[in-house]
Amino acid sequence: MARYLAKRAVDRLLVLFTALTLQFLLLRVLPYYVMGIDPSFFFMNPNLTNEQRELIRKTFGLDEPLPQQFVKYVLSLFTGNMGYSFYTRRPVVSELMERLPNTIILLGTSTILVIILGLAIGLLVAMKRGTKIDTAVVSTSVFLNSFPSFFLGLLLLLFLGYYFRLFPTAGTVSRPVPKDPVRYIADYLWHLTLPLLTQIIIGVGGYALFIRSLFITQLGEDYIVTARAKGVDERKIMTKHVLRNVLPPIITTIALALPGIVSGAVITETIFSWYGVGRWLFEASLQFDYPVVQAVLFISVVLTVISLYIADIVIAIVDPRVRLR
Amino acid sequence: MMQKTKVKNSAKKPSRVKAAVEVLKLIMKHKKGLFGLTILIVFVLIAIFADVISPHSPDELGLADRFAVPIWFKNFPQYKDLPENLAVHVGAAEWNFKNTIPSQIQVKKESSGWIIFKVKPEEAVSKTVVQLEYDFEYPYSPPRRFEGNIPYKVTINGEPGSYAKILFYIVTPEGKSYLIYDSRSIAYNKTMIDPPARFDARDIALKLRLGFADYEDIGEKIFSEKGTYKLKLEIIIVSVPRSTITVAIGPLYFRIPGLAYGLLGTDNLGADLFANLIYGTRVSLLVGILASVISVSIGLVVGIVAGYKGGIVDQILTFFTDTLLFMPVIPLLIAVSVYVGKNLYLTISLIALLSWMGFARNCRAFVMSLRERLFVEAAKAVGASDTYIIFRHILPQLTPLIYITLVLNVPGAILLEAALSFLNLGDPSVPSWGRMLYNARYSGAFFKLMWWWIIPPGIMITLLAMSFILIGQTLDEVFNPKLKARR
Repeated sequence: MARYLAKRAVDRLLVLFTALTLQFLLLRVLPYYVMGIDPSFFFMNPNLTNEQRELIRKTFGLDEPLPQQFVKYVLSLFTGNMGYSFYTRRPVVSELMERLPNTIILLGTSTILVIILGLAIGLLVAMKRGTKIDTAVVSTSVFLNSFPSFFLGLLLLLFLGYYFRLFPTAGTVSRPVPKDPVRYIADYLWHLTLPLLTQIIIGVGGYALFIRSLFITQLGEDYIVTARAKGVDERKIMTKHVLRNVLPPIITTIALALPGIVSGAVITETIFSWYGVGRWLFEASLQFDYPVVQAVLFISVVLTVISLYIADIVIAIVDPRVRLR
Repeated sequence: MMQKTKVKNSAKKPSRVKAAVEVLKLIMKHKKGLFGLTILIVFVLIAIFADVISPHSPDELGLADRFAVPIWFKNFPQYKDLPENLAVHVGAAEWNFKNTIPSQIQVKKESSGWIIFKVKPEEAVSKTVVQLEYDFEYPYSPPRRFEGNIPYKVTINGEPGSYAKILFYIVTPEGKSYLIYDSRSIAYNKTMIDPPARFDARDIALKLRLGFADYEDIGEKIFSEKGTYKLKLEIIIVSVPRSTITVAIGPLYFRIPGLAYGLLGTDNLGADLFANLIYGTRVSLLVGILASVISVSIGLVVGIVAGYKGGIVDQILTFFTDTLLFMPVIPLLIAVSVYVGKNLYLTISLIALLSWMGFARNCRAFVMSLRERLFVEAAKAVGASDTYIIFRHILPQLTPLIYITLVLNVPGAILLEAALSFLNLGDPSVPSWGRMLYNARYSGAFFKLMWWWIIPPGIMITLLAMSFILIGQTLDEVFNPKLKARR
């Protein structure tokens, strides 16, 4: 077990480093050398003199050759320094902390709800396979899968936001910000509704379908037939046999969903002008604000690596076969 | 599962077309597949005949006024009177001469619509006003604006002192006349043919001259009621002796851009939204299919090499695949699209490069299981080369998986491209559905509740993506009968 986990840890660290390199290649080297885009071009006042430009480039470390910048970047990551935003000249970490609560509230709630609802619906449908509910859920899921997520947000915005004027169309809280904490929370939740609804509707269809097919595959296996033939109690089949085999992939999907809670939902946040990490990433990308983009992507990869590693541990505990591999 | 559906290719090889027809027949047997296939065929036909279906290209601007509503809205009482496009060309044959012209001025009407007034050097005229009028019926509610042009040419030779002046008025049914165009005195040679003299209701100088405020729509003020309006042209000619003056007036073009136009109205630049919707089919189909083909090709090569070779090659390829799987796809796609997205083919490649990993993994696992099978062992024992085994024994077994993935990868690519275009990271020269939604969002279509602009592209994206999902699922059921029994 320990050996298995240690091997996994080394693997995952290597993946992390490769991902970091790949990001640097895609975001810094490729635009600079292939497309001829110099990020410093976009944030400097064109009226500055060359000396002033050089000084600014130097403060951001942009005067050094790219390989050296990469080494510096990786080393500074170890100290928790994510760099400074080109535009606001503030540390990326402190800006991240400003936006993180909003994203965690939006994505955390929606992820948890999607998992719970998806599990419930998927399980229900898998049990009632072939009935009308099953067909309805499956066809709805297919429809939702082909539905562009941003379009769902736009529809909610158009009807609930602009037509019926039930919900605000943009922002995280009203201006001026309500002073009373109770009203502040109410106002915040009011702003949260539409993006949350969008995230849940998008996520739940696919997840329910996934859970359904997972259970149906297991229920069709020979060992279940055997257990049934032996007269094993249905409930026992579920808990003892099916659950054991279904759990690992479910754990993996949950682990894969977790990093999104921090890196945010770029499109939904952009549509509803949610003051979160996803929108920040989008806006920073548009401005070639690379310290920000790299930081968000890096955090996302790190969290994926960590949560999948935790998933590995959990799966190894749940499913003894894995340990023996 | 896959092994049970032995593909007949290896046995006797019926022609590929026949096999494809066979598969199509199987798909059509399923209700789901038939439905998906029908939608897809409709979309393909729309894409092929886009030029025929849509009378205009989405690049043509100013087809009607901006934010025009669909023309079929006029069936509803509250939109009944909305102005449609109204344009008149008033040439020599159409103008009514309102006054007698002194005999010194020769008038020549040409068949091309031009009228030429000429005073010879031996003649002289003191200030003479030639009045031309044209009546037209305006049957709609007030428009927002009007525009038009008059080509003319003034030639003056000889002694100084001769001049001409061209004035254009609109006269309302009440008899109020508005001076729309004033050429000022022309005492020299002047050619206004290409470009002709223009007038536009949005011209602020014009608004102020007519006594309106600069924010008012003067089209609305002038054409405030239904009735017979007059277009009036006044040509003032003064000629001194020993000079020739020629005034040529071309056909006047006058237009009131409609507020109701086409099947889906117009956007903020007056382009036809229906055209955008129709041409968007081409973009989405191209993106979906091309991205899917590229990603499946990459996945196939990586999967086969990794699965068949094994060992260190497998480890490296699997490691690389896993690394890409760890990256957040949408944020990365957005960050990279900012600098490569302005080219459609780069966007397609980017989508493909970030979506081949799943298939590579499936492919690798399947090839690994095949490699251990007896027929591969046997082929190896006979001395078959790796390429021979891969092409002859492994690839045919993979065919169903390849087809299914090819189809099922399309919707993802279509949705991603739409999302990128919606974020304005797509090719600006391409009329895609995502771009249509971007335009809607950033020109206030939401605020104006223009649902006919917002909803159709979303429905098109959904239907197209759904058709591929349905066909893919049917293929899956056809090729994996065991799965079907389970459903």
